[in-house]
Order: sequence, then structure tokens, then C-alpha cells
Amino acid sequence: MSTGGHHPAPVSPVEQRVAALEALLTERGLVPEGFIEEITRRYESEIGPMNGAKVVARAWVDPQYKQRLLSDGTAAIAELGFGGPEGDHMVVVENTPGVHNVIVCTLCSCYPWPVLGLPPAWYKDPPYRARMVREPRTLLAEMGCPLPTDAEIRVWDSSAEVRYLVLPVRPPGTVGMTEAELAGLVTRDSMIGTARL
Amino acid sequence: MSTPLSLSDLDLPRRNGELAFDAPWQSTVFALAAAVIEHAFGGDREPFRKQLIAAIAAQPGRSYWESWTAALEALVQALPGQPVP
Repeated sequence: MSTGGHHPAPVSPVEQRVAALEALLTERGLVPEGFIEEITRRYESEIGPMNGAKVVARAWVDPQYKQRLLSDGTAAIAELGFGGPEGDHMVVVENTPGVHNVIVCTLCSCYPWPVLGLPPAWYKDPPYRARMVREPRTLLAEMGCPLPTDAEIRVWDSSAEVRYLVLPVRPPGTVGMTEAELAGLVTRDSMIGTARL
Repeated sequence: MSTPLSLSDLDLPRRNGELAFDAPWQSTVFALAAAVIEHAFGGDREPFRKQLIAAIAAQPGRSYWESWTAALEALVQALPGQPVP
């Protein structure tokens, strides 16, 4: 360990491998100048759950939009300007008082990027991927989302073809709120289905 | 030249308490995969996804972004052209 405080941290093996990949791919002309910075900026500040929250709020205030959203998620989401990688075929599943939907990707980490950004760490971890299919009610309760015993739980396993987004139930006591105010209530986890509003 | 901003200076999506990336190498390798998908595979994500599934299955306990790195290495090795050193 350095004691001077001026030495950079040692470079880890994986950092070295990533640096080698970057050098190789840049040499092959596959990484335009500024590309890495632009992608990083986009995913850190533009693409995230705030996009999905706008979709949900619109569906809550506009029944016709909600209908379009549930029948063709990709097109309805594109109406609000969201689309791109990992959003080619979006399916929106609606929560009701009796039905609770939750999304998972059992094989890797498929996730609706255009509306939720990149998945949180736990979404990508083996316990979530395995247990949400095997024992969703128990896992949801452990995650702070206990459900009534008579509520039906539907688990949607994302695939190469389809990305799911949960449309949460509009919370009570929100009559008269504006669309923007409603969007402020929508959390990422409520659109994954591991939380209720 | 503009002054580089530190992450804490930016209004990043923190609604659920997590940022997309924990370290610069993670955002780099994420963007490198995007570059390869876009410029070597014409936007087709499926070849990378298959490698990612295989990399995660091969070592389920490995961290996600390390599996992502292994997947990209495998994908790049399969690219036509120069051999990977």
C-alpha cells in the first residue's frame, strides 16, 4: 500500500484486460473518438428510470395512451421519444389490485434500457435471477414487497426478443396531480415489479 | 478544454440509490461492447448476448462486469481479421 497518497491505485487485472480491449478495438477502427465518453454520459445522465416514469405517468392520465401502451409497447414508448438498444420489442404488463407483475432475466441481464437505463446490481446477480422464478412471493417479501396471499404473481422472463416493463397501479390519493408530479412518484423498482407504490 | 467533472458533480440518476457504473473500467467496457455491436455487427446484439450468457454460466460467481469483459473478449476473438494478441 502506498503511504504517500500521490501514487495511483494499482491497476487490477480486469482493468488491464479492458485497457487491452480498448487499444485493440481502437486500432481496428471500431471505436470512434469520443464514443466511450458519449455512451457513458448518455447512460449516466439521459437514459434511466426517469424515462419509464414519464411513460407510466402518461398512461395513468391518458386512457387512450394506456391502451396503445399495452397493445404495442414499443410504439407507444417511442411516442415519448424513447427507444434504441434493448428496446426493440417492449411489452408493458399492467399491475392491478389482484395481479402483480415482476420482470427478471434468468440467463443474463436483459432489461428495458430505453425506459429504465442499466439494471441495478442485484438484478444481475444469480440469487435474484434464480429465486424470482422459483419462489417469487418469498423473494418479493424479502425485498420489501409483501403481497396479499390472494394476489396472483406473474413473472416475466426477459429474452432476446422481448423486454418487459411493469405498469404499476396508480397510488390512491393522487387525483388532481399533474402528469409531471405523478412521474415523480414512480420508482425504478415499481417498474421492475419489486416494489409497489 | 473544459474541466473534467467528477461524478459527484453531475445530476446522475440516483433515485434508487445506485449509479449505473461503479468504476470507469465498467463504463469503458460497456461502451466498447456497444462499439463492437454497432460497428462490427451492424447493430445486431444477439452475438454479444450469447457470449454474455455463456460467460455468466461459465462462472456464475464472477462479478457481472467481469463476465461482460470475458464475453467481449470472446466476441472479439471470433471477429474476422487480425488475431487477438
